Amino acid sequence: MARADDSGLRRRVFQSFALIALAVPAILGGALWLAAQRLGAGSGAPLVLFGGAAGFAIVGVVLWVWQWHDRNLVAPLQGLTRDVETISHSNPEHEIQPDQAPQLGRLAPAVSELAQALSTARGKVDEEVARATQEAEAQRRRLEAVLRDLHEGVMICNFEHQILLYNQRALEILHLTGALGLGRSLFSVVNRQPFLHSLEQLSNSLAAAEQGEVGDEPHETALVVCATVDGRYVLEGQVSLIIEPEEGAASGYVVTFQDATEKLATLGKRDRLLRSAIEGLRRPLANLRAASEMLTSDLDLNAEERKDFESVLESECAALSRHLEESHEEYRGLITGHWPMSDVYSANLLNCVVRRLRDERLLEAVMTGIPIWIHCDSHIVVELLDHVIHGIAQHGGVKAFDLEASQARGKCYLDISWQGEIIPSIVLDGWLDESLVEQLGGLTGRDVLQRHRSDLWCEAHRESWVRLRLPLPAPRGDHRPVGERQQALPARPEFYDFDLLRSASGVAAAERLLRELTFVVFDTETTGLEPSNGDEIISIAGVRIVNGRILTGESFSELVNPGRNIPKGSIRFHGITEEMVKDKPPIEQVLPQFRDYVGDAVLVAHNAAFDLKFLSLKQEACGVTFDNAVLDTVLLSAFLHDHTHKHTLDDVAERFGIEIQGRHTALGDSLVTAGAFLRMVELLEARNVRSLAEAIEASNRIVEIRRQQARY
Amino acid sequence: MAKTVLIVDDERNIMLSLKHLMLRAGYQVLQASDGEEALEIAEASVPDLILLDVMIPKRDGYDVCQTLRANPAMNHVQIIMLTAKGQEVEIEKGLALGANAYMTKPFSTTELVEKVKSLLGDGSG
Repeated sequence: MARADDSGLRRRVFQSFALIALAVPAILGGALWLAAQRLGAGSGAPLVLFGGAAGFAIVGVVLWVWQWHDRNLVAPLQGLTRDVETISHSNPEHEIQPDQAPQLGRLAPAVSELAQALSTARGKVDEEVARATQEAEAQRRRLEAVLRDLHEGVMICNFEHQILLYNQRALEILHLTGALGLGRSLFSVVNRQPFLHSLEQLSNSLAAAEQGEVGDEPHETALVVCATVDGRYVLEGQVSLIIEPEEGAASGYVVTFQDATEKLATLGKRDRLLRSAIEGLRRPLANLRAASEMLTSDLDLNAEERKDFESVLESECAALSRHLEESHEEYRGLITGHWPMSDVYSANLLNCVVRRLRDERLLEAVMTGIPIWIHCDSHIVVELLDHVIHGIAQHGGVKAFDLEASQARGKCYLDISWQGEIIPSIVLDGWLDESLVEQLGGLTGRDVLQRHRSDLWCEAHRESWVRLRLPLPAPRGDHRPVGERQQALPARPEFYDFDLLRSASGVAAAERLLRELTFVVFDTETTGLEPSNGDEIISIAGVRIVNGRILTGESFSELVNPGRNIPKGSIRFHGITEEMVKDKPPIEQVLPQFRDYVGDAVLVAHNAAFDLKFLSLKQEACGVTFDNAVLDTVLLSAFLHDHTHKHTLDDVAERFGIEIQGRHTALGDSLVTAGAFLRMVELLEARNVRSLAEAIEASNRIVEIRRQQARY
Repeated sequence: MAKTVLIVDDERNIMLSLKHLMLRAGYQVLQASDGEEALEIAEASVPDLILLDVMIPKRDGYDVCQTLRANPAMNHVQIIMLTAKGQEVEIEKGLALGANAYMTKPFSTTELVEKVKSLLGDGSG
């Protein structure tokens, strides 16, 4: 089209000139003919001659002017047109030569300036758009993160009640698997009426505010309680309108909600319990009162009558006692009210306390033992521990504390231990009556204990150590990794490298008591079982034992890039994929760090020969030597429990009742081994194996027996 | 010589019954109605067994129990704690602080007497 117009311009100019070229000779011809008529005969010849010459001259001038126009004006105009088209349609950077059409005066430079201005403006717009897009993207990511981390389910809907956005938690609460499907109606998952009612309330309030009714701030949120369409779950939450700032009108709404099924069920149970507890009192009390009034009245009762009433007293008392015990039992079964509690990993909780004290720089706390899961309100428990620790420090001048979580007979405890005196119960009670921190609205330690249905006390622990014990509820969920719930994995085959365990004679500290030594209990995960055949370490971890305490807070745990592939078959044991180690340091970097961590501690491992073989093959390349004394918990277990052949880590942990969490990770296995090793040290002492030398001798005896067995 | 039982409770009604029960069972009876009095009497006349209510004025039962156990002269004294709350953690706390046994109110008097006798090595005879 543009091209057609373009050639059209040229044709139209040509036609105009052609018209002039034709019209002027015609007019001239006509004029001359009229002149010839007036002048009479004889004037024709010269008129034709001059007129014809003038006509030709005029046509020539017109043609010349046309050509000049065509070359100097029309052609450059066409050129400019094409340039402008190029700029606007395809190449914004296309340059216009300002001197390409001098006959058009300032037109070409002006168009060139316009093109530049356009290009700059376009650049700015692009920049703006890119920045805005980036910002929108960042906001979207932030929103996603917020939605993902929310404890509540969130759904955003328009007024057609189509779901426009939701988070993962919403699916969990609604017990939906797979995607919800954007654009699906909210009412395909939850009951309609409660929402319509809440929305109506909000709309009314908004309308009232718009009409300027004095004091009527629009309500932005309304509470909603509803059930899922299948009626299985009850949700509790709130609806908020999304108000467009410019129009002041609502364009949709946000629903945030939680699963209230259990809470409401508990409330219901609590109500029933209270009612039955009270109603259950009336009958036996009435009987008791009547009988006792009969007995104490002036009525003249004979011996038999008295006996009847006494038996009423007895049986009603027994019934009341029974009723009380039943109610109490039911009450115990109810969850601890509305207070938000969750399953917490003790290491995370205790670490908060450790870090707080470290920041204060006055007291020192060390986390020890094998971490467990507990059910509590983490924040207020941290406040309570912090408060009590400061109390102990002031009361007894104690500066160093051990913090440990433990479990026994299905109960969980947090223990604060220190060397010093027992804190009298009456002193503890005083601290518990103080409010913890202002921010918690005067919450006292006693309140914290009551919320957890717990109490705390101070008791003697082990020689010169005392501990403050805080029992807490057991976790509600199962926190073992999915793999462990299914089935136990086969254990590593036992490795024997008889030369790795040397005789006690060359070992420093051989005569020192086991309970006084420092140990590093460690474990490795590897690509396979054949160190001499190219298998490599992919993870190494260790925990330190000092004075019979596992120092959980000072553990070593590193993934290692093995510089080779990780066989699929091994991944199901350790769960470490190539993706996980691709950015990790090589063994040459990690092993020297581990060497530093170990120091001159005695090394302990379950099936130590296996791990040591890997270490010894890498020693030279890494420029380190592991010449520490070594104890193997397989050998110690075989020594202590010679009635059985079951000495895998699972067997040993089960025998000692050590709960296994995070098994088959290097750190998890190190912790379990450390827990088992401490128990073994106690048993060894009972069998008069007290020093390191004696423990090594005992191990060597087992090695000797196995060597003998291996011969046959 | 008859063994001595110290009953510590601030409720007159239960004290009345406990006192009679212990006298009937052939024990000498001492009485205290708060924690301080309990400690004074216990230290002055070292009873063989103490029936110790947890919720008593001045110093509570836990405190009394712990204080007694801190005194080597009281090591052999048997302590039965009595409580009206009956939460598991209280029983555990009581035993951790040195009680020998625990009874939740309301209890059967027959069971209480049996427990006292067995702790004092008096058997059913």
